Formats: sequence, C-alpha cells, structure tokens
Amino acid sequence: MPASRSTRIVLFVYGLLVIGLLYLPLVSVGFASVSRARYLSFPIKKYSSKWYAEALASGTVRDLLWTSLSVAVIVTILSVIIAFFGALAFARYEWRYRTTFQKLILLPIFFPQTVLGLALLMWFNSLGVIPSWKTAVVAHLVWIAPIATLIVAIRAYSFDPALEEAARDMGASTPTILKEITLPLLMPGLISAGLFAFLLSWGNFPLSLFATGADSTLPEWLYAKMVSGYSPLVPTLGIMSVVASLFLILAAFAIAWLVQTIRDSKAAQ
Amino acid sequence: MVSSDPILRLEGVVKKFGAFTALHGVDLEIREGEFFTIVGPSGSGKSTMIRLLVGMDEVTDGAIWLRDQRIEAMPANLRPTCMVFQSLALFPHMSVGQNIEFPLKLRKVASSARKERALELLDLLRLPRDYYDKRISQCSGGEKQRVALARALAFDPEILFFDEPLSALDYRLRKTLEKELKNLHQRTGKTFVYITHSLEEAMVMSDRIAIMKAGHFEQIAVADEIYGRPVSRFVAEFMGEVNLFEVTSRDGTTLESPCLTVKSGTTNESLPAGGNGLLMVRPEFIRFCGEDESPDYRIKGRLLEEYALGSRIQYEVETETGQILTVEKLRQDRASSGDIGSEVMLGFDAARTHLIKDT
Repeated sequence: MPASRSTRIVLFVYGLLVIGLLYLPLVSVGFASVSRARYLSFPIKKYSSKWYAEALASGTVRDLLWTSLSVAVIVTILSVIIAFFGALAFARYEWRYRTTFQKLILLPIFFPQTVLGLALLMWFNSLGVIPSWKTAVVAHLVWIAPIATLIVAIRAYSFDPALEEAARDMGASTPTILKEITLPLLMPGLISAGLFAFLLSWGNFPLSLFATGADSTLPEWLYAKMVSGYSPLVPTLGIMSVVASLFLILAAFAIAWLVQTIRDSKAAQ
Repeated sequence: MVSSDPILRLEGVVKKFGAFTALHGVDLEIREGEFFTIVGPSGSGKSTMIRLLVGMDEVTDGAIWLRDQRIEAMPANLRPTCMVFQSLALFPHMSVGQNIEFPLKLRKVASSARKERALELLDLLRLPRDYYDKRISQCSGGEKQRVALARALAFDPEILFFDEPLSALDYRLRKTLEKELKNLHQRTGKTFVYITHSLEEAMVMSDRIAIMKAGHFEQIAVADEIYGRPVSRFVAEFMGEVNLFEVTSRDGTTLESPCLTVKSGTTNESLPAGGNGLLMVRPEFIRFCGEDESPDYRIKGRLLEEYALGSRIQYEVETETGQILTVEKLRQDRASSGDIGSEVMLGFDAARTHLIKDT
C-alpha cells in the first residue's frame, strides 16, 4: 500500500531531523576550525584558514598524524591477514571446539574498551614491556582483528566450498586455488574489513589512552587538548582527520571500481 | 564403444566417519567407455562414493584402481578424472570462456590455443560462440549446465563424474539435457560415471545401473535386468510401482500366497520346500480379464481407485484376501475397467512374473 501524502511528509521531516542530529555537531566543529577567534561564537565574525596553516606547519601535528597513521596502517594489514586465515578456518574446516573458539575470539568485541585497555596495560607492565605506539598496535588488534574476521567470515560463509573443490579437481594446487579462486572471491570482504580496521584504529581513543605510553595518537591529543589548553587547532585537526577518513573511503571505492573494470575488460578480450 | 576392460576397479572399499560406516567393503568394476549410473535414496552412500572416486575424501580401507594404477591415496588435483558438481561450481568471477579455459590455463596451454578449444567446446555443447565473453550470472540454468560440461570436457578426463547435476532443473529442461548427455557420451566415447537419486534419469541414459542401499551395492546390471529381475524387495520397490506376493513353497512344486497359487518352475527360480520368497508382477503386466480370456493366473478383486497419470491410468484393486494390487493401463486402453467399487477379474501370465528369493 503506498503511503499517504501526509505520512510521506512526516517521514521526510523525520529523516531530515535524524540527518541533522548526526551531522550538525560536525558542521559546528567545521565552523570552529575556520573562525579566527580563539573561542567559537556565532555568528562568526571573521573567517580564517590560519589554524589549518598552523596545523600543517606544526611538528607536533606531523608527529601525531605519523603515529596515528603508523598504528592504523599496521593494524589494518595485520587484521586483514588474521581475518583472512581466521575466516577460512571457521568457514572451511571442521575442527574440535571450533564454535567455542569462535565465540572466545569474538568476545573482546563485547568488553568495554576501557576495561580491555586497562587489562592490557596491566599485562604489558607485568611482562615488563614499556607501552608505546607499538603496544597500541597490539591493543587495537585485540579488539579490531575479531571484527575484521567477522566481516571476512560473512563473505567466506556465503561462497560455495565446491568452487575450491572444483578447482582442485581440475588440477589446481593449494596456492593456485588461493590465488585464482579464494582471494578474488573474498576480495570484497577483505576490502571492507581493511576499511573498517583502518577507521576503527584511526579513530580509537580508549585503547590508545591506556596502551600508547609516552606516544600519542590524534584522538588522544584531541582529548588532552580539550581537557586543558584548548586552541582552534583541536577542531581543525578533527576536521582534517574526518577528511582523511573520507578520502580513504573514496579511495577504497575507487579501487573496487578499478578492479571490477579491469576484470570486465579482461573478460571482454 | 564400451570395452570389456575395466577402467576403474574398487576392491573392498570401506569409508567410515567416526563410528558411522558409510561404505561397507564395496567392490565394483566400471568398463572403459560405459555410461555407468549409481542410483540410491538419500543417505545410501552414493555421494560418499563419488567423493572417494574423484579423490576429495580418503578411503578408510580398500583399493581403487584406474586401469593398472592404484589411486586411492592420490589427491584430487593429480587424478586424471574430473567431476561436474551438483552446484556446477562455476567460478562467478570469471567469464564463460575463462571458466572453460581454466583447466587448460592450469596446464599452461597458450592463450590462443585455449580460446580455440573453448570455442570448439561451445560448438559441441550448442552454445553460441558469443557466450565466450558472457558472465556466468548472465547464463540460464541450462546454459550453466552446458558451460560446466564444456569445462569438464576441456580438462579431457579419463573418466567424467557427475554428482546429480540435473537435480535443480525443471522437468522439461532435465529431459532435454538427459538426452543431450547421452548423446554427448556417444560422441565423445568417454567413460561417464553418474550419480542420481532419480531412477528415470538412470534408465534413460545408462549402459549399466548400480543400485545402492546403506553403503553397499544391492544390484549392478543393465536397466532392463534391474527393472524386470530385481534381486531384492528394495530394488523391486525402488525401481517403480510393483506388486509383490509373499509366497511360501509347500513341497517344492507349488508356491502359495493367500490369494494365489503358482506352479513352481513356471517362474525364473524355484524355492526349496518351506522356503519363502516374493513373486513380483509389474503393474503394466496385470490386465482386467473378460470371461473369454485365459491368463495363467486369475485374481478376483474390487476396484478401489483410479488415478490419471498423463499417458497412463493407474488402478488400485483390493483382492478378496485384502491385498492391494496396482494395475496400469495406457490411456487408450482405459475403457475395460468398470466403475469404482465394482467387482473385477485380474489376470497375468507366468512369463511376466519374477521370483525374488531374498525377502
């Protein structure tokens, strides 16, 4: 039954409200970053890109970005590798305690991150490991690798194991099957898992807070500056971080599109 | 051409899954060039059997010989055999052409030669040549079947295995493809080993049929033999509608059942005195008799039901002793039966009966 005109209007307004609620705070951060004044007040009296120029010139900001990026990139690569083999182990093979293991592996997702962070910090201390951005990589992995595994596993469960068996039956070795069948078919899942892993690591605060020690990631610095020593660099870096994430998402779409185009043109040859 | 030499031989093959035994020491010989079908209900072990034959599972005990080479321990990717899967297992990320060329690519055949062979196979399977560039998702069910077959033939296997590849198709398409498969078998001269739960499929295509039950072969023979001279109640009933009279041999000369007495020796086998057996008559060999007819055996009964089965009509008749018999007539021979509930006289000849000793 088609909705009546009034229902449609109500739904439309409701939709706008939800979107407004989601994005307006971000917009206000955007305004704060382009205001010349030190503290945000509406209407903005004078617009300026001063804070962006300062951010780009700052050595601290460069270090922060570098630390965050290093952690996120390493976490992404390791998560995708762990997720690939983990998902195959769950979806392809029957082994004892498989379902129990599956639940145990996914359990960290349900822990509050602060509790997980604290636990890891205590553990690093008891092992005599000095917390740094490298321990943050481990902390992020504990939480992010299970999520990535879940994403790839959904894809792995949905494809017919007979495809791999058929390839083997026609003479393909295990590495060939992996290259020709398994990897191309899991690729969409691997790309999504990588994307999620990067974004979750890039924006993570609670785990980083406990695990980075003397090093600092971007979200940690933003929080510290909010608590004491606010400057418009805070919203500026916030916006730069969001834009970087957006670029990453666009890049992922572009790669997926490119892969599809190359495959289609290969098929058409 | 079917040769008398076996291409594949199984000796005492056992397959266990934990405590469950799926195959109980199976022996089998498949001849070079034959269309051999294994039929059985679900759970009879036929899928387990084919997985062992192609090398996707390992035997627990016993030997599999391909000509004079022992292959039961050889992994699937080293065996010169190929299977068409129930799900067809076409690679969704490759085009039709790439699918067909896959086994050739694995053998490092040059791309021009691969394409040439793929196009030849498209011709052989009556698919238009421009399907070479199509995506698998653009093909219909029947076309996918043909692509899967083309890919298996590109492999050029010694034996081509089929694991119920037609089971997901609608009736008409299945009938067409059954004939095409039979035809393809004749044209390629390859050995086909086919697994199905459909008796009709087996009857249409096969040179020989093996009936499987609970992990062993109940009977292996040509279709007519299995239909007309089954070795057990299971085979008789599995091969379609059947009337079975439980008979006992009184003194070795006559077989008696509550509604029938048969002279021993008029059927294929005889029973020793006191022995039990089943006398089988297929529904199409029983007829409604008039006064002037004199079949070897007559049974009085009452017509219970009449079912229209397309080209045939099936009747249920209850004998005076309460046994329900099934009678089938071609539609054009329908008139002679009478009304539901009326008394009828059934008749059949001794030559049309078969005695199953093993009950």
